[in-house]
Amino acid sequence: MTAVVLDGIVLGLAFGLLGVGMTLVYGLGGVLNLAYGQMVVLAAIVVMLVMDDGVATILAAAVGVLAVAGVAVLLDLTLMRAVYREHGEERTLLGLLLTLGVAFVIAGLLTWRYPSGALYIYIGGDPVSILGVPMAVGSIWASVIALLVAAVLLLFFGLTTFGRGVRSIIQDETGARLVGINPSFVRTVIFALSGALAGIVAITQSMSGPLTVNAGFELTTFALIVTVVGGLGSVAGAFLAGVLLGVVNTLSAHYIGQYITTIILLGAAALTILIRPRGLLGR
Amino acid sequence: MGRTRSIGWALLPIVVTAAILVILPSIWFGDSPYTTSLAVQALVFAAYGVGFNLIFGSTNQLFLCVGALAGIGGYGAVILTDETSLPMAVGIVVGTASAAIVGGLLSWIAVRRSLGIIFTGIVTLVFSLAFANLLLGQREYTGSETGLVVTAAADDLADDQVGGYYLFAGLLVLFLIVFRALQLSHIGWAFRALRDDEVAAELAGVDVARYRIYAATLGSAMIGLTGALLAYSAGFISPTTYSFDRVDVRVLVLVAFGGLGTLLGPVIGAGVFAILDEQLSTSLELREVLYGVFVLAIFLFFRRGVVAAVVGLYDRLGGRRRRKPTLQPSGD
Amino acid sequence: MLEVARLAAGYLGESVIDGIDIEVRTGEAVAIIGSNGAGKTTLFRTIAGLLPAMEGRVVLDGKDLTRSPTHRISRAGIAYVPAERHLFPAMSLKSNLVLGAYPKRPDRATLELVYDLFPRLKERQRQQAGTLSGGEQQMLAVGRALMARPRLLMLDEPTTGLAPKIAQIAFEALEGLKSEGMTLLIAEQQVPLALSVADRGYVLENGHIRLSGTSEELDQNPEVRRAYLGVA
Repeated sequence: MTAVVLDGIVLGLAFGLLGVGMTLVYGLGGVLNLAYGQMVVLAAIVVMLVMDDGVATILAAAVGVLAVAGVAVLLDLTLMRAVYREHGEERTLLGLLLTLGVAFVIAGLLTWRYPSGALYIYIGGDPVSILGVPMAVGSIWASVIALLVAAVLLLFFGLTTFGRGVRSIIQDETGARLVGINPSFVRTVIFALSGALAGIVAITQSMSGPLTVNAGFELTTFALIVTVVGGLGSVAGAFLAGVLLGVVNTLSAHYIGQYITTIILLGAAALTILIRPRGLLGR
Repeated sequence: MGRTRSIGWALLPIVVTAAILVILPSIWFGDSPYTTSLAVQALVFAAYGVGFNLIFGSTNQLFLCVGALAGIGGYGAVILTDETSLPMAVGIVVGTASAAIVGGLLSWIAVRRSLGIIFTGIVTLVFSLAFANLLLGQREYTGSETGLVVTAAADDLADDQVGGYYLFAGLLVLFLIVFRALQLSHIGWAFRALRDDEVAAELAGVDVARYRIYAATLGSAMIGLTGALLAYSAGFISPTTYSFDRVDVRVLVLVAFGGLGTLLGPVIGAGVFAILDEQLSTSLELREVLYGVFVLAIFLFFRRGVVAAVVGLYDRLGGRRRRKPTLQPSGD
Repeated sequence: MLEVARLAAGYLGESVIDGIDIEVRTGEAVAIIGSNGAGKTTLFRTIAGLLPAMEGRVVLDGKDLTRSPTHRISRAGIAYVPAERHLFPAMSLKSNLVLGAYPKRPDRATLELVYDLFPRLKERQRQQAGTLSGGEQQMLAVGRALMARPRLLMLDEPTTGLAPKIAQIAFEALEGLKSEGMTLLIAEQQVPLALSVADRGYVLENGHIRLSGTSEELDQNPEVRRAYLGVA
């Protein structure tokens, strides 16, 4: 059982980062990025291509993360302009639909060009024993990276002026404007950050097993579930929900079955919306 | 008064559509089962579209579970008639009723919990995905990925025969008449009122909750009925027949293309996409890219539908002006 | 310092204020007086960039700020404290103040100044802004605006929701600021309070400037007395 829980935590940390990326963009601008899973896959494919060219893994990883962050900036400066011109529900709806369109374009292009594309970062070495359970070295690496990134994010949002500025926009955008914060610029930076997070998730996920070109929609679904359960706009909530749901996922898959597991996760999201719409830590 | 005359005008678009549908086989099909099945598919999606239009176009409820509702109709009907030996008609009724009940229930939940468009969308999407997983998981009943051969299917209504074509053509015309009748009745007025300004509508005495649930139930019935008939006509169903990818996305795009909330929007959209499918029998993946581009183009530039944009162009050439388009449909 | 010329603004194509000409010189305190719906808030929101101007200009020390976005106007030196305050509810009082100085790092001296002005804020600095009382929130809103060391401080109805005693304290604080050389532009329904602090004032009625003059002139003016001071 401990082994299953530990596996769940490894998965959960990735879920958490995914949720953070998605919830940030929603909290700042009311946009649910349905293309998020595809952005992860895009990063994976870029890293795969670069590694195939013989580049060292670490460098390839950096390229992948930067590439996706760049794509994110591009999207923000073009499509998202139209979205931010709307307000309230109109904006969320348009954001949903446009990112859906982007998701199709990216998914279609990638699956057409690289139908059997997959990224698998294999890290050799003997399994390390954690709490008496032998864990694959890849999983350990994935977890450590995820935790480091989470810590950096925590410091960033808690201590830096820019990070505080981000939080202030989520809480009261007009107030943020009044103190001299430019929400537009911050949104672009955060969108880029969410892209970078997608890239990092691609790396960590591919350390535990191959990340295929078809995984996009599933990843978006997970990100959405985690975001909703954690509370739309709450970074800490998304991370917490990610870890929790990761554990629930592996426990359920191990003891019950794959199909039911997905239903359980989906049910968690539905239940949250119906019973406690603000999620675990939302306001 | 000119009552008969105004009814005539009201039904004109439907009559024209029906006429076109009737003569289409003779001028276009040329006895090709492939073309017939393409046409039937277009009709099915147009029928789905009318139901979706009733739910989202008329009452702003973002139901991302069209496929699932059709699946409830389809799988419900087929499992019933295959397990018991009840006649096909019973299966169809049960399937339709089940879909209607589920749709009404989802709407009731959304209303009770005051879910906005986004949360309604997420909840129905979750339902959609959960249903798909349910189908995959319950092997003994649904055959999982391998699908279900429908033993009670009627051969002459099969979807690559002209019989099947006329079945669905008739269904579509029926749906259009119902939609039109609603549009012109006081119910249609209530729909338009609650779409424009929910609060004002409530104050004017419109029971928004009730109308939403009615619209959802009726629309879901339409979708379920179509799904059930599709099952019998196709003779074989699998989870992909009713999946979110295959159904919901396509319905959303083609209804948006034709114009959300309009009477003939689904028909025009389905028709255009059927022609596109035929012309571009390229790989599935590239088709996905094209869909994505379409979605972007429609929601960036043609919010009221491509048709409305073209008509708008005509109007502008003639000097009339249009209101600013919003996403939430205001159709007519 | 601030020049507003022929300003018009409104909502959904309809103008709420029109032909507004206002001047605020450095070191002055100017009051905008008017009843509910006269357009005071619309005027302030337009100056602050929260509402686009339909006509006219807003110029600060020669710099045209008319079409500028709010954050740019804030950085140019105009600090606006709206009636709704727009604080950051889930952040501590201190964090709210610190953000006031954005994008610069908070200046120790300025923070001390604010705490001197509003000792209550120093006591509750770790408390979440959303849990403060109305009066404390108002003090925080003003304090946050001051953290940016603004050239012009605009306050919209600073006494809204405040008990009379607290409103008095608030205006005493404003007096203090003025004596330190701060330029003030205040919109206020409570005319006696406003005129007590202000050097000059404008009377806004139905979106137009009806009267203007020094606060003594306005105080003596029979129309003003009848309409706003309840004197027959």
